[in-house]
Amino acid sequence: MALIEFENVSYKMPNEVLALEKVNLRVDEGELVAIVGGNGAGKTTLLKHMNGLLKPVTGTVRVKGKPTTESSVAELSKQIGLVFQNSDHQLFSESVKEEVAFGLRNFGFPPSEVEERVARALNAFGLGQMSDRAPLTLSGGEKKRLCIALVTAWDPIVLALDEPTVGQDHLNKVRLLELVRRLIRDKRTVLIVSHDLEFLWPLQPRTVVMSGGRIVADGPAASIFTNFELLESSGLRQPQLARLAVALESPSPFRDVDEAVAWLREKNGPWSSGSQTAFGKG
Amino acid sequence: MAKAIYEGLKFRYKTTVIHRLDPRVKMLLSIVLFALALLGFNFYQEIITFVLVAVPATLAKSLKRLMRVVALSITFGVFVVAINLLAGGTVVESIVLAVRFLEIVASTSLFFVTTSPDELEYVLRWFRMPRDFVFAFATSIRFVPVLLMDLTQIIDAQKSRGLELDRGGPIKRIRNLVPVLIPLIVNSLVRSGELAEAMESRGYGAVKKPTSMDVLRLKINDWAALSLIIPGGALLIWLYIYVI
Repeated sequence: MALIEFENVSYKMPNEVLALEKVNLRVDEGELVAIVGGNGAGKTTLLKHMNGLLKPVTGTVRVKGKPTTESSVAELSKQIGLVFQNSDHQLFSESVKEEVAFGLRNFGFPPSEVEERVARALNAFGLGQMSDRAPLTLSGGEKKRLCIALVTAWDPIVLALDEPTVGQDHLNKVRLLELVRRLIRDKRTVLIVSHDLEFLWPLQPRTVVMSGGRIVADGPAASIFTNFELLESSGLRQPQLARLAVALESPSPFRDVDEAVAWLREKNGPWSSGSQTAFGKG
Repeated sequence: MAKAIYEGLKFRYKTTVIHRLDPRVKMLLSIVLFALALLGFNFYQEIITFVLVAVPATLAKSLKRLMRVVALSITFGVFVVAINLLAGGTVVESIVLAVRFLEIVASTSLFFVTTSPDELEYVLRWFRMPRDFVFAFATSIRFVPVLLMDLTQIIDAQKSRGLELDRGGPIKRIRNLVPVLIPLIVNSLVRSGELAEAMESRGYGAVKKPTSMDVLRLKINDWAALSLIIPGGALLIWLYIYVI
């Protein structure tokens, strides 16, 4: 049984714009799925269907086999942890620990367990030292980590991140990358909605491309990200390492620069001897 | 409900006779209709006023939206009936009062659904209102859609954390609003600070009397509308008071 299943799902916005059109999607346990597409492609609308914030006009969305129309948002959110793009839309408590405890209390965890889970979540995201600070005084990166921590605190079976890299500097993006890798190692199901393909590339996720409310491609990152025409027509920019792999006709994609350098050294022997750099004599 | 009322009152640009009128003429039309609604004391007058509101609303292709706002205001209309009955009024009087209230809502809405925030700003400036006040007022209207969008996103975010706004007794329901209102207020304050900085960076307040790109001027269609509204309105008001 699929963990999440979309069957011919269509959704119209209140202004009559068709935001999703006959979407079919299946997400299995332990998968890392990236949902990519330009602005207005329907990515966030798709996510909001998973925890019942939006209900399909036609078609069915099932979580663990049960249609989302038969469950409340709260019931679904306990299973599908959704981290919103804008951290400032979520934070309101007096302290970081209270912020994490809010969701746990809503989901009915006993007080002793709330305390334990809060501590665990904050430590896991390097926020243990800040537990008494006001969330609104945190930096952008810290707020983002807090928003992810407060969702992981109740151990949802799926963690869905909506545009996690927006407004994040390089260091925070690296941290986010590490976090996603850790979640995958822990066999969590992770969904990432993003148009930051440079961020997604090293993760090599299964990639779903959306455009105009439809799924236009679904496959491994290596094949999707190297398809220039597909990305271009969906308002996306190919990751530089993918472009390099295509340009150099590499048999496999480079996950990072080191992999690309190693391949080039192997292919062009003398160039890699150290006597020459890309910018001239070394 | 607030969102539904806003959707009903939101300005949407259309190329209708009414939309193209000078905003001052539209304001005068609304004021006349408002006055007629206020002066209506019997069913005949209420029916005439209703027709008089419905005609320009139809011409503005906004009758359906206006009726939606009226439908949403019916709850308050029922409240008016109940209060009037309790105060010793007859059923007919109470219903007339409620209808009058709904017509006041409709006549005011007619102005807002056909007048853009920019036009509203021009009208206020024409009335020689202080510039800062006009700017603050027009900006607050322009930001209503942004606030509503924020509100929707905040509610979605908090619902995703298990918050159930419609659960519990009245006290619990009010307390449930805290996780929604705090981010909304904080975001609004941050945004207003950013807007103030952006405006100052673009020269707002640099001179005491800034020039204006747009100046309100009455055109032929405006004069034609005025020649209908002024004598027609005066005649109807006289009829309402002394004849019907």
